[in-house]
Amino acid sequence: MKYEMVAGFETHIELATNTKIFCSCTTEFGADSNTHCCPICIGLPGTLPKLNRQVVKYAIMAGLATNCEIANISKMDRKNYCYPDLPKAYQISQYDKPLCEHGYVQLSSGKKIRLTRIHIEEDAGKLIHKRGDTYVDYNRGGVPLIEIVSEPDIRSVEEAKEYVEKLQQIMRYIGISDCKMQEGSMRCDVNISVRPEGSEELGTRTEIKNMNSITFIGKAMEYEFGRQVDLIESGGKVEQQTLRYDDVTNTTSSMRGKEDANDYRYFRDPDLVTISVTDEEIDELRAKIPELPAQKKERYVNELGLNEKDAQNIAKYRNIAEFFESASDGVKNPKTVANFIIGQIFRRLETESDKEEFNIATTAEQLKELVKLIDDGKLKNNLAKSTLEKMLDTGKGVREFVSESDLAGMDENTLNDLCQKAVENNPKAVADYKNGKQKALKSIVGFVMKESRGRADAAAAEAKILDLIG
Amino acid sequence: MVTHEDVLAIARLSKLYIAEEELDDLTKAMDDIIKFADTINNASEEGVEFDNINNLSNAFREDEVVPSYDREEILKNANDIDEGHFLVRKRV
Repeated sequence: MKYEMVAGFETHIELATNTKIFCSCTTEFGADSNTHCCPICIGLPGTLPKLNRQVVKYAIMAGLATNCEIANISKMDRKNYCYPDLPKAYQISQYDKPLCEHGYVQLSSGKKIRLTRIHIEEDAGKLIHKRGDTYVDYNRGGVPLIEIVSEPDIRSVEEAKEYVEKLQQIMRYIGISDCKMQEGSMRCDVNISVRPEGSEELGTRTEIKNMNSITFIGKAMEYEFGRQVDLIESGGKVEQQTLRYDDVTNTTSSMRGKEDANDYRYFRDPDLVTISVTDEEIDELRAKIPELPAQKKERYVNELGLNEKDAQNIAKYRNIAEFFESASDGVKNPKTVANFIIGQIFRRLETESDKEEFNIATTAEQLKELVKLIDDGKLKNNLAKSTLEKMLDTGKGVREFVSESDLAGMDENTLNDLCQKAVENNPKAVADYKNGKQKALKSIVGFVMKESRGRADAAAAEAKILDLIG
Repeated sequence: MVTHEDVLAIARLSKLYIAEEELDDLTKAMDDIIKFADTINNASEEGVEFDNINNLSNAFREDEVVPSYDREEILKNANDIDEGHFLVRKRV
């Protein structure tokens, strides 16, 4: 029998606020343990939480960017569980009145992955288990999170990966999180089940907790899909349980079974008042949402003539998209700009985070000036490429490397003389060409290009040389 | 109706030890408490949109950093500390 994968995601994203959700401690990452703490975020009795306004704004922006309905009235609830990472023995979260509901993320196939909800909550502290004890660091405790819950609409590892990538891109675009999976500012729980292809019923699901890499999400899902199918095929039953993925052995193992299923005893947090948001406030936030990567990609393809792949690669990173847009504003062919970015500039940005940060010496204005010279026929492609390298090395403009005489092009006589000289200086190549070696012609043209420091028009030079030796 | 199992489950969550001979009394006491709280179910919900207890809304704080406490202050009430961390018995 053939089986189908059914998966849904719960994605936690740390918001890029300056302070924690309920107190004014900094959210900065990587400090010494327990140095970003106060009586509120270590849960001392008698303290009162006060909600960070920016958290509500960012969460609403996340909702708007993912096509959610925003609740005008919302509230905070206590989710009770007892574990040392939670000093109050409850997490302040949202239960039945989340800020955002009923959204979706659209994949490149056009398929929509529906979002059930997005709510705000506090992150837990960090536990380090060593020497049989648990060491607790509450720096992360109280850092604001949004949890994005999807419907079980995902049917393959590819869809899962694209869904996570799309979320990551969108949240970075609207500037509410850096979504660094390796630093834990974006983490996914994957709910996964299998069913015979064609069946409408959902199978029993398992939940793989705390995935912090897109590659591992793919591997864990593949493994878990195989495990569940094998189990069913051999006459067994999938047991509902929480799993942890081990990236060394590439297997999942049980963290806790259903018998321990938590009863969180949710109730409204009486320390926190109702969150009320007006339609006007929502509209103000809507106005702050920039054009998103999917829309940008469409526009680059339809209006600027880029191919799908290039458009995708540029639209993916906000900094690069903005650079591309201002460099190609007013140039004849935006594709020339795209080619420089995808080719020479990307070669200098090896990692994803290099691209995300996009620290290059050349400004969009400088690249535009270069491209305009190409547009006007004043700068030949070879010379443009080598000039861009120098610009990227130094941060200087095109005029620093290309003189007026370079730009003036080359008159007919000069080109004639140069071609003549090329033929005289390369007797071997001329002979080779005459003996049928087509490639030899290139080296004669190359001589002209070298002598002219790239100013000559290669096609014209080739025609001239053929006249001379043909 | 509260059962012995309910009381034992709550005791386990609260990390309390309950002796066999205490169970009957505690179960009855718990049942009385729940029944008392059930009174609230008789209250009319008509016209009440939502459980807004005090009709207050939007008490926000601006997103401005205030220096945190010294670590010594944060850790000084802990039972056990090591290397700048709270130390607790390992749990699974």
